[in-house]
Amino acid sequence: MTHERAIDVAGLVREFKGGVRAVDGIDLHVAAGEIYGFLGPNGAGKSTTVKVLTTLLPPSGGRATVAGFDVAREGAKVRASIGVALQDVALDPMLTGREHMRLQGGLQGIPRAERARRGAELLDRVGLSDAADRRSKTYSGGMKRRLDLALALLHNPRILFLDEPTTGLDVQSRTALWDEVERLARQEGTTVFLTTQYLEEADVLADRVGIIDRGTIVAEGTPAELKAQVAKPTVEFTPRDAGQCSIAAAALAPFGEPVAARRDGSIAVRLESGADQLADIVRALDHAKIAVAHLALHEPTLDDVFLAKTGRSLEGAADGGTAEEIAPPRRDRVAA
Amino acid sequence: MTAAGTVARTRSVALSVAWRSVHNAFHNPAILLPSVLFPLFFFMAFAGGLSSVQNVPEFDYRSGYTSFQFAFICIQSAAFGGVFTGFAIAGDFEFGFARRLLLAAPNRSGIVAGYMIGAMVRWMFVLAVVFSAALISGMRIDGSLGHLLALLVLALVVSATSTLWAAGIAMRLRTMQAGPVMQMPIFILLFLAPVYVPLHLVAGWVHDVAQLNPFTALLETARGFIAGEPTKVALSAVCLVAMFTLVVGWARGGLHSAERAG
Repeated sequence: MTHERAIDVAGLVREFKGGVRAVDGIDLHVAAGEIYGFLGPNGAGKSTTVKVLTTLLPPSGGRATVAGFDVAREGAKVRASIGVALQDVALDPMLTGREHMRLQGGLQGIPRAERARRGAELLDRVGLSDAADRRSKTYSGGMKRRLDLALALLHNPRILFLDEPTTGLDVQSRTALWDEVERLARQEGTTVFLTTQYLEEADVLADRVGIIDRGTIVAEGTPAELKAQVAKPTVEFTPRDAGQCSIAAAALAPFGEPVAARRDGSIAVRLESGADQLADIVRALDHAKIAVAHLALHEPTLDDVFLAKTGRSLEGAADGGTAEEIAPPRRDRVAA
Repeated sequence: MTAAGTVARTRSVALSVAWRSVHNAFHNPAILLPSVLFPLFFFMAFAGGLSSVQNVPEFDYRSGYTSFQFAFICIQSAAFGGVFTGFAIAGDFEFGFARRLLLAAPNRSGIVAGYMIGAMVRWMFVLAVVFSAALISGMRIDGSLGHLLALLVLALVVSATSTLWAAGIAMRLRTMQAGPVMQMPIFILLFLAPVYVPLHLVAGWVHDVAQLNPFTALLETARGFIAGEPTKVALSAVCLVAMFTLVVGWARGGLHSAERAG
């Protein structure tokens, strides 16, 4: 990964009619070759940000450059440098997969001979070779997503925007898409800007995560940094003999402060020095001759981060909620 | 990118969009059939049902009533072909496909040019069908091959003009419900021209309106080409250039509106 900035955004604003600010002065920077996860609930401003960065919408204020080109003044150069797969798959039901490739190649100005070769190669890569000559209206949701991804990659873009690429996909299709995104970033050096409302997706895929809520970025950093900001891991232990609870509590006391356990008859401790203490805990329990029925390590999740920053859980946050009443959003940033 | 490179990219975009437009028309009868059947129906109804109009004493068109009506059908089908393309553009925006075009095309004017070229190619297929039907039904052509080529150029510019008009609306409203807004002004202009009889046989307010209607000049020129007696060519050229220039600005404004809306 280089430190060259693929995406550079400062004070970006996008206001709609009626004064609604979908994006309200965000700053973000994405390094070349990085996978940047843009996490937030429905209606937080993720898709609007993507539309501005991909030149589908002009910004109302602020500044954004993509691949070194200003999105407001150098739209054509931005579009030549990026690949985009939007949330709503834009396919023509009358065209086959191969015909889509031909059309996309023409739109991108790829020479005719290369268009066919590259199209066939990408259809093969996304597993659509057998369905290449079928009209896209016969494709399943997962196949449409894969075709959309292949189309976005046809001209070898330096930066790839994926707007909620796995929404509505089954587990198998989702995993396949994650693998492909990972391969693009790690092997081909493609910068990936990925919006998602799935915590696991951001956690698994992203090098860094920006959490957006109501048009502003409320936290940014690596998933580990963000989680470390809000909570430490906890270990939860259930002795085989319930009578050993007090002995177990004493054995675990040196590792951190006790917290409420999730299971009845269990003891939970917040680990002061992180998950690295787990081996020592097992040794301490063994030394105290306590038989283990259940032992679990609970890492904080990105939902805990969202909760801490906005006062709401990410799941269901799109329903509106009253974040300001519960806890005013904070703007914290972790140095990458 | 150099100027030549920009032109090449724009041409590539335009040809790709035109290819899709033609491809979809020929793979979907629901798109192609109306644009063929309407002109054929009009032609048969007008040229057949009203053929005795040529017996009116002051009807002085020398190539006969079938040719007289063919010229109208030629202009009418070209104009309505553009409107049908407007429906397709509105559909692309309503169903999201336009985003693919807007995201992939470096120069977005090429998208509009592509729709325009597609409409012209589709219209030429319609013309071939109607022309064949007209010849079978005994149409007389007194004009030379040059006159017929001039008629073709005239109708192609009408097709392009009406496509840009409809595109301007489609890209502003971005819904197929905008269809009547595209269609109605073209319909009114066409039918307030001397459709059934020459202008001097049209009476009352319709005559006054027809005299000011640019489509009257276009129709008279088209009929003049078939009869081998070019009529009001300069006036038609001025009308076409003026209308085309206006709709280029109109379509450009529509494109900017679509770009602002995302």
